[in-house]
Amino acid sequence: MPETPRDAGFDAQVLAALPHVVRFARSLAHDDALADDLVQETYLRAYRSWDTFKPGHDARRWLFTICRNVYLRHRERETRMVDTSGETAELESLAASVEHGAATRGGLGELLDRIDVAPAIRNALAAVPEVYRTAVILVDVEGESYEMAAEVLGVPVGTVRSRLFRARRLLQQLLYRHAVDAGIVRAPHSPEPGGA
Amino acid sequence: MMIRDAGQPALLDCREAASALYDFLDGRLIDATMTSVQQHIDTCAECASHYAFARRVLDLIPTSFPIDSSIALRARIVASLKAEGYREERD
Repeated sequence: MPETPRDAGFDAQVLAALPHVVRFARSLAHDDALADDLVQETYLRAYRSWDTFKPGHDARRWLFTICRNVYLRHRERETRMVDTSGETAELESLAASVEHGAATRGGLGELLDRIDVAPAIRNALAAVPEVYRTAVILVDVEGESYEMAAEVLGVPVGTVRSRLFRARRLLQQLLYRHAVDAGIVRAPHSPEPGGA
Repeated sequence: MMIRDAGQPALLDCREAASALYDFLDGRLIDATMTSVQQHIDTCAECASHYAFARRVLDLIPTSFPIDSSIALRARIVASLKAEGYREERD
């Protein structure tokens, strides 16, 4: 049976974006089986509402929005527990600068050369609360602009900026702690071996 | 705040440079402020190290999540769509 024009459009715009939606879901869920379920549900929802998709809009962003909504339904408890009130990039940056001094003294510069970076980053990002993690996935993994990420998340651009700042800082902290816990770099306040 | 003002490049301290870290790396500052930040990290080893580390982490994030075309998942999705009435070109 020949493909309908409706389904041809769905093929060209929505199914073509599948690899990106899979990556988005896997980086969001940090669980491939759950991510695959999210992607399947995303595509079902997209197909059911394809008639309402506005021609000329970016299907990938539309799919990211749907996928995130599906994921949030799975993780409602987590999103309720995260307090994002009062977040500002400036406050985050001050905290980052304080930590930075300790981290550089502990061997920050060598860290990335001494760990298996890809799994460390995936694990660290999984530990970042979803509200911040999604900003990193959209901007740093998928290469979306702040403005497009704001559209997907339904928040102002300034909120994307502050969430990115916090997420990236958390990511750096987690990578550093991973390296300290693994004995790869020295904790900033630990005594020198053989010291008094 | 100094780093948001337009005009001539201003001298920044380490706290201001830390505040500008990701805006600088994402190229979202006005030219004068980009220059101010660059001048600071050119002369401050600790901030230069912080910026270099942050830059490397940002560069490594996308490579940590490679694209997977996942043919098996595509087949599963197409099968579920067909139950909704979808017809693939090859049908």
